[in-house]
Amino acid sequence: MTSKGNTFFNRLRVLRWPLAVLLVAALSVFLLQGALKTGLRESFLRNGDWRTSESIGAADADAVVRAIVAIGGLLGSTREESMYYTLNSVAGEPLRLNCRYRIEGSDYDANWWSITAYGWDFYLIPNQEKRYSYNNENLIRGEDGRWVIRVGVSEQEGNWLPVGPSGTLAETNSMAHDFDLLLRLYTPGNAYLQHPESAPLPTVIKEACS
Amino acid sequence: MSWVRWIAVILVCGWLGQYPLAMLVPHLIMERLYNKVGDRTGYNQMYVNTRPDETFRNVVRPSPDLLYALCVYNLEQGAVVINAPVPERYWSMQFYQMNTDNFAGISNQREQHTRVGTQVEVTLVGPDANPAEYSGEVIQSPTERGVMLLRASAIGDESQARTALEGSSCQQQLKFVST
Repeated sequence: MTSKGNTFFNRLRVLRWPLAVLLVAALSVFLLQGALKTGLRESFLRNGDWRTSESIGAADADAVVRAIVAIGGLLGSTREESMYYTLNSVAGEPLRLNCRYRIEGSDYDANWWSITAYGWDFYLIPNQEKRYSYNNENLIRGEDGRWVIRVGVSEQEGNWLPVGPSGTLAETNSMAHDFDLLLRLYTPGNAYLQHPESAPLPTVIKEACS
Repeated sequence: MSWVRWIAVILVCGWLGQYPLAMLVPHLIMERLYNKVGDRTGYNQMYVNTRPDETFRNVVRPSPDLLYALCVYNLEQGAVVINAPVPERYWSMQFYQMNTDNFAGISNQREQHTRVGTQVEVTLVGPDANPAEYSGEVIQSPTERGVMLLRASAIGDESQARTALEGSSCQQQLKFVST
């Protein structure tokens, strides 16, 4: 080996511990990101395309659930107070701004409930109508009490929930989806408390994409 | 130490490191909220937010159907007293410690529906305090610092909710020193 090569390895030898600390930190962050994504799939219950956790806000939440909630749902209440179901994909396809969606439902056993659209940055989506959600009181319903919400960028008749680019720069988006939906059930009934994986929820259908 | 061993140590430590990091995340995020709100509004004081819209950036996933008021508390100097009128529609008072756990809460729902129309007065005491030394409704915080969040339904006419939150207070309990 040449003396140049020896000098390089000697310098590397001196720097190996500071370098090791940096690499360990980077690897931990990388693995945690993966764990959070996996955790969302594995630590959260599924009910159709909706996901929820029984331990949001609770002392028995594991570290991954607690981290996921802190990042995307800080100050969530425990389930006796409110249950939160999120949906960021339909049949495995992430929610996109170039697609139109239809949410169909009826009434749910809770003091009140609402469906809100959030950008990938977890904040309300800027729109001219200043409409960010529908709740059990402000929906236009059919005679049978059932309702349809149409979700998309372009204006639609009836209950239209506008979506669009998030307020945060798109370049920083590391999510697969452009936006997501959050169903809140305040003071939920027993079906949600005891069987959150099978309790009745709205259905979300992808209508078309451009 | 050989380079192979060096790489192995990095891989093992990196894998193990994700767990303390996951535990650290809620504390870091809560700390950021605590300091952001505390610096803006002061500690042990009630802060009533405007109705959430796209410009709302205090907390992720705000509900546009609720009005919020919060108090970032510090119990190092003693108990904090929270007063709040309870409106007819959905209302709750939730307490969070610095790891984000929702350790206590009261509401006007279910068996607590009788609170509607009353004035709630809660004395929030620190982890080392003896709750028996305080009268009335006492809640013990597991940590000296934390966040109390009021939620009130703003569906339809929000004036009742706004009046209730603006009429709420959070303040350090006065200490009476006998002479």
